[in-house]
Amino acid sequence: MRVPPGVSPDDFSSSLTEFRRVVGDDWVFTSDEDLNLYRDAYSPFLNEPEERVASGAVAPASTEEVQQIVRIANRYRIPLYTISTGKNLGYGGSAPAYSGSVVLDLKRMNRILEVNEANAYALVEPGVSYFDLYRHIQERKLKVWIDCPDPGWGSVIGNAIDRGGGYTMANYRNHFDSHCGMEVVLPSGELLRTGMGAIPQSQTWQQYKSGCGPWVDGIFSQSNFGIVTKMGFWLMPQPEAYLRCAVSLQRYADLGPLVETLNYLENSRITQGFPDISSPLLGYGPIGQIQLFFERGPGKTSPEQQTLVSEAKLGFSPQLEAYALKSGTPYWEVLLSYYGPMEVIEAQWRATQRHFSRIHDAKFRIVDRVMLPLDPAKIESYHEPEFGVPSLRAFSIGARAPWNPTPSKGHMWFSPIIPRTGDAIIEANRVFGEAARQLDMPLFRTFTLPACFWERSFIFILATPVTEDPATNRHYREGFKKLIEIGGQHGWGEYRTAPVFQQAVMDVYSFNNHALRGFHETLKDAIDPNGILSAGRYAIWPKHLREKQS
Amino acid sequence: MRCARGLHKLASVLISMLALPVIADEVAPQHTAGREVYLKWCAPCHAPGITHPGTHALMTKYQGVKSGVLLEWTDLPAGTIKYTVRHGISVMPQFRKTEISDAELDALARYMSRNTPQP
Repeated sequence: MRVPPGVSPDDFSSSLTEFRRVVGDDWVFTSDEDLNLYRDAYSPFLNEPEERVASGAVAPASTEEVQQIVRIANRYRIPLYTISTGKNLGYGGSAPAYSGSVVLDLKRMNRILEVNEANAYALVEPGVSYFDLYRHIQERKLKVWIDCPDPGWGSVIGNAIDRGGGYTMANYRNHFDSHCGMEVVLPSGELLRTGMGAIPQSQTWQQYKSGCGPWVDGIFSQSNFGIVTKMGFWLMPQPEAYLRCAVSLQRYADLGPLVETLNYLENSRITQGFPDISSPLLGYGPIGQIQLFFERGPGKTSPEQQTLVSEAKLGFSPQLEAYALKSGTPYWEVLLSYYGPMEVIEAQWRATQRHFSRIHDAKFRIVDRVMLPLDPAKIESYHEPEFGVPSLRAFSIGARAPWNPTPSKGHMWFSPIIPRTGDAIIEANRVFGEAARQLDMPLFRTFTLPACFWERSFIFILATPVTEDPATNRHYREGFKKLIEIGGQHGWGEYRTAPVFQQAVMDVYSFNNHALRGFHETLKDAIDPNGILSAGRYAIWPKHLREKQS
Repeated sequence: MRCARGLHKLASVLISMLALPVIADEVAPQHTAGREVYLKWCAPCHAPGITHPGTHALMTKYQGVKSGVLLEWTDLPAGTIKYTVRHGISVMPQFRKTEISDAELDALARYMSRNTPQP
């Protein structure tokens, strides 16, 4: 039997007996065989002694069971680590941040408590995946859309409280922002409801976010201050039509005006879908079509273009620009999508063209113009999540394919937030390109363009492979940490990261002698004095483990 | 590539269930439960076509020697299915018992190996 660090075998054994009394024998796991199922399948410490593993797992089916487990854990000082569906692959999966914790697996709490079509919201439990919620809505023919990330098997709650994103309209893409109301089991076992849910018999829990007084929901995201057992989400009414359009620009210097114009249009809600910036000239495709890249391999370009691109510096040379103009290959292209009544979105597209026309030689085309809902038989010709349809197609990233004969074991995402300017894109390419070369990290193509998941900022996403070779993984881990540090030196920080890098990332958020970390620790000590809940998550350690980490 | 057209068509219908209400189709009664597990957990990656990464990976690996669609295999022992589900392979992670219980895994393995001669 594995035993959590700092816990006596007798106490652990007693706690397991009590856990079994709560959830039943079938839902407490202690054998190596069962606990190996909780390993992080994409761990950068794969098969190394430092890999973070569980000492046990317990899977409750209700909020009441979660409360009882938390009270038992307090009694025996058992470190728990909460997962919802455990599919946060690339960000830690189902393994604990503090090795030896008992995983509190909420997958069995999979009830969809309400989907309200008339006011477009839902209330779910943490084990509900995007597939589950989508199927529930389809089976009932409800005219609402979910917003999902690329892999559809993740938890609607888990992704939101890890602050993930999706692909439909701006106000739904940010999954934490689109939530409305939480139910939380505190580390004491006490039950809390936030927002309007704090009113007994509340009639507007999923309709008004903040209630009255301090709005505390944010502290339950990327943290270890409570266990979210219910959460509401605003859904998108099924739009009538969809328009996808492309704006192509011809010169390197057009990147700055492109971003400025996009910002104005998006911040004014003239365009609302996921904007996708690409470079046909540099061979950098749209993020929403990344599955096509992985399914079909790189597109064909002329040998002349390939040579010019490989010789360019930060994606530029006068010869490359001359080639672009001569061949009519756009330097930059932004795909814009619009959801709504056709007469409205066509007008929005006209306004978009008027604004982009200030850039010399801007070219416009309609890529797609369809009435919704889409014919299900045609969905695979689109990037499914842009229509609120979950899939697992994104796993083509890294999987074996004709042009990728040696698949990786997984990947980890380096994803700092950078400003929404053309200059920042070029600066990030300079800084991380240089760093990648010095650190010998295989994460850079000629030029990288950022993702527009959030309004007002970019995410500069770079994927680092996880291999089966510990020496290679060690090299990548060290490089990854160095990239985090270099980003911090330029004022850029990660939006989210795997537990093995959470300490390094939070070290960057150091304003005024780490005042933010100090505040997190003050909260932790007050809310969870025994330090039983998800120790180490986002580098928030309970007092008794804090010194060991520094 | 060898391709059992009937199976291919059946799998396409099953897959469309991801996006549509459940469509009744013919499956031996003893495989209903296993097929349900397959549709929920396996089909999103292993249905026909390169838009399903598991299928694309197997097509690439076997180069036409056998199908990339697992449901078409005739040499897929139940034990191999169980091992792979619980250990993962390449970018496919392992699955926990809260996701696929032992009983569901038995049913899944029986369904997916139904065309494989028993030893």
